[in-house]
Amino acid sequence: MPTFKLNGQDIPFEPGDTIMRAAWRAGIEIPHYCWHPGLSVAANCRMCLVHIKSGRQMAMPTLKWDEKKEAFVPDTKPKLVPACQVAAGEGMDVASVGDEVENAQAHVQEFLLLNHPVDCPICDQAGECKLQDYYEEHQGTAKRKRTEPVHKPKAVKFGPTIVYDAERCIMCTRCIRVCDELAKDHVLDMRERGNKNEIVLAPGRELDHRYTLMTEHVCPVGALTSKDFRFKARVWFLKSVDGVCTGCSKGCNSHVDFDPRYGKVYRLRPRDNADVNQFWMCDDGMMTYTEVHEGRIDAPVEGRGDEAERLLPEESVDAVAMKLAETDAGKLAVVLGAGMSCEDNWALARFAEKIGAGRLYLAAREAEDVGWEADDILRTADPNPNRAGAKLAAKGAELHDLEDLAGDIMAGEVTAVLALGHHGGEREGALDSLAGLDTVIVLTSNEGPLSRVASLLVPVASWAECFGSFVNHEGRFQTFTRAVPSPEGVEPAWKTIAMIAQAMGKDLGYARTGEVRDEITASMAPAAPAGDDAAGEGATA
Amino acid sequence: MEAPDEIFEDEDEALEIPADPMRLNMGPSHPAMHGTIRMVLDLDGETVMNVDVQPGYLHRGFEKSCERGTWAQVFPYADRLNYVSPMLNNVGFALAVEKLLDIDVPERAQYYRVILGELARICDHFTCNGASAMELGAFTPFLWLLKVRDWIWDILERETGARMTHSFGRIGGMAAPPTDGFADDVRAIIPEVQKVVEEAEGLLKKNRIFYDRMEGIGILPKERALALGVTGPVLRSTGVPYDVRKDHPYMVYDRFDFEVPVGEDGDNWDRFSVRMEEIRQSIRIIEQALEQMPTDGPVSVQDPRIMLPEKREVYTTIEATIAHFKLVMEGLKCPKGAVYSFTEGGNGELGFYLVSDGSGTPYRVRVRPPCWYNLQAVREMLIGDMIADIIPTFGSINMIGGECDR
Repeated sequence: MPTFKLNGQDIPFEPGDTIMRAAWRAGIEIPHYCWHPGLSVAANCRMCLVHIKSGRQMAMPTLKWDEKKEAFVPDTKPKLVPACQVAAGEGMDVASVGDEVENAQAHVQEFLLLNHPVDCPICDQAGECKLQDYYEEHQGTAKRKRTEPVHKPKAVKFGPTIVYDAERCIMCTRCIRVCDELAKDHVLDMRERGNKNEIVLAPGRELDHRYTLMTEHVCPVGALTSKDFRFKARVWFLKSVDGVCTGCSKGCNSHVDFDPRYGKVYRLRPRDNADVNQFWMCDDGMMTYTEVHEGRIDAPVEGRGDEAERLLPEESVDAVAMKLAETDAGKLAVVLGAGMSCEDNWALARFAEKIGAGRLYLAAREAEDVGWEADDILRTADPNPNRAGAKLAAKGAELHDLEDLAGDIMAGEVTAVLALGHHGGEREGALDSLAGLDTVIVLTSNEGPLSRVASLLVPVASWAECFGSFVNHEGRFQTFTRAVPSPEGVEPAWKTIAMIAQAMGKDLGYARTGEVRDEITASMAPAAPAGDDAAGEGATA
Repeated sequence: MEAPDEIFEDEDEALEIPADPMRLNMGPSHPAMHGTIRMVLDLDGETVMNVDVQPGYLHRGFEKSCERGTWAQVFPYADRLNYVSPMLNNVGFALAVEKLLDIDVPERAQYYRVILGELARICDHFTCNGASAMELGAFTPFLWLLKVRDWIWDILERETGARMTHSFGRIGGMAAPPTDGFADDVRAIIPEVQKVVEEAEGLLKKNRIFYDRMEGIGILPKERALALGVTGPVLRSTGVPYDVRKDHPYMVYDRFDFEVPVGEDGDNWDRFSVRMEEIRQSIRIIEQALEQMPTDGPVSVQDPRIMLPEKREVYTTIEATIAHFKLVMEGLKCPKGAVYSFTEGGNGELGFYLVSDGSGTPYRVRVRPPCWYNLQAVREMLIGDMIADIIPTFGSINMIGGECDR
């Protein structure tokens, strides 16, 4: 691979790479605002100016203050070029440090702050703002301009999800490009020039495509803020763990941002993974975090309707074990959940084997029932994160759907149900037949159609509350990490199932997530689609 | 711990009634055990045969606490090391971080630090000597000397806003410039302080009781002092003229004309006398520093990445807002590396060994507290003396629990 020198260090590049992209791949940051690895080059912020020391030098005429003469005298300086636009060349000698470059960076930074409002204390970007970072790293001087800053529109509603503040905007055009290039919807553009420059909506439009939150995600400053996250949390209090989106079977990698003080998840951010989601997530996926706290089931409930009675957390395992002991395993339907992790489904399938329940079903959301639409960007046709994982757990046994279940109940072949998860049964009347059964045990974290027909409801940890894994639509096994603690007495589903098994005297031998996961990965090892898709690999990319 | 055998050998010849060796706990809560410390004594009658000095009762985890805040947030902790002269700790820590950052503070700040520091040293020595006298029954000199401490604290309060724990040092300078009346205030008390030194010496130096309790008691030989790493007045009382201000001058100490007083025997009397003489030398330094200190100019480096910007600027300009935000939320970023920086504290060489990982939070803050090393010598000083001698000897070490136990 050809190389060039950046600050004396050899950087390999692929033909066609810009200096910036090659440095980014090598993990070296050249300061920049407008460049984004997933977007086209705009080269308008001028923060990434570098000095190419090799080749023919161009001298720019300039003036320099002469102490002795106490006057400006003619001088020259080297012509600097934007690293994001200039293609790397073999043997090139590039400097992104040094007096000339640092001077340029300091002045670009000072220029960007000329009319910037004093908003940090009320700005959601504070703490993860490039303006703040680069001020400290590259400027560090006091304000020289003493006139009133130019005022521009603030808190402009761009659509249902995004609010725009023109005063904070540095006109990097990343949001315009993300709409054009990712969402293929030219809904944003720029008007006016100089310090009157601002981002505007296309006439008659709102920012309402499926990737609006990505405009906020790429905004290097606080100009675009998400209505959902606005004023909810300060980012320096948030911790982050690796997550996998539960919106559809794409399995987009995410950062789960949560506040450890309150055990609350505040937002998701896309986590770069070149093999899955590149740099992006769709709006629906970004909002899946809300289910961690909305419609949460936190205590076991026995009975339906008026007879429903809350149990203590420690009573639920025995209650389930007792119910199952009374049940004829041959007429017990075990329903795996396409929204639950591989570990949970695996434990349930093994439990079914242990007690001799051979009827396996799969509860999954159907796209038309939940209004899910696929696109050719990220969204797949299947709005379940782990259908493949549930199939893996069944070890090749046929998984019938909920329609089959309804039919089997009608036919009297099934008299009891043990179900996992809250996905599935969204279609009107799909679960009516279950409501008539005496024994419908549902292990789930959230309210859903299944939880509403349950005769015995046992809460389990949601995806944000446990370690787990999903297998996406292309068979990629991806792990996620626990962010927040689950409610008192609530365990992950695989553990709850293991406890139930133990109470019934049929120990599954699972004590840790890893033990379940090892069995899963061992079962899939030969069938793994590619070498680097093995356990956990996708989550670290 | 076993009492040495030889004391029982000549039991028959002993003039006193033979007594069984006795083990006695002194402290940790004892009026004379400054700052909570325990001594387990092996006594033969009233003679101390062995001592087990057990510090640690005031351990607050200072060094560990420093690893969770920003560099600037260490100052309040530093105040609470030697809380008898907090300004010296403040400046000592600031100098260590400035060494890590490789910056020099403006000259005016250096003189200001010297003057405030020497005032703190005078307080420290007065408190130690006053308390020594009090514990031997001389209550008047104690009040007489602490009167001066109150004058000095009045000045420190006007300058810093706090009488004791000032938190006034800053990385890159001082929190505020000297007040308008600062130099005049200091000049006004200097003759008064000198007068009190004379008076206190007059009260004590010819006092038979005091003299007998101090002279020849708690002797520390020079070689042992050096071997144990003892510094400060305790080391100088043994005749070693080691003073960081003279031997490794920092700030502007090389511009002043002052003596390093030394003793001869390393006994309580020498320690008392060395401290009294050092008060006079501190006054000399203060007088010269007041002469040389520039009357205007900044007292901190003018870099918004190091010093917090003015509040007025923070509220009105984005640059200062960002600088403030970064310094408060993430803290000053020190370059990766480690430094050892040491100054002459009230009790000797006060060292800070700092390790930075390049983030805004200290990776490690290690303090070399002078008391800790001085305390090591206490056992050797006490063995062979009477139990009552523990009080003046231990007092003359000036162990400060906050600094010793950290």
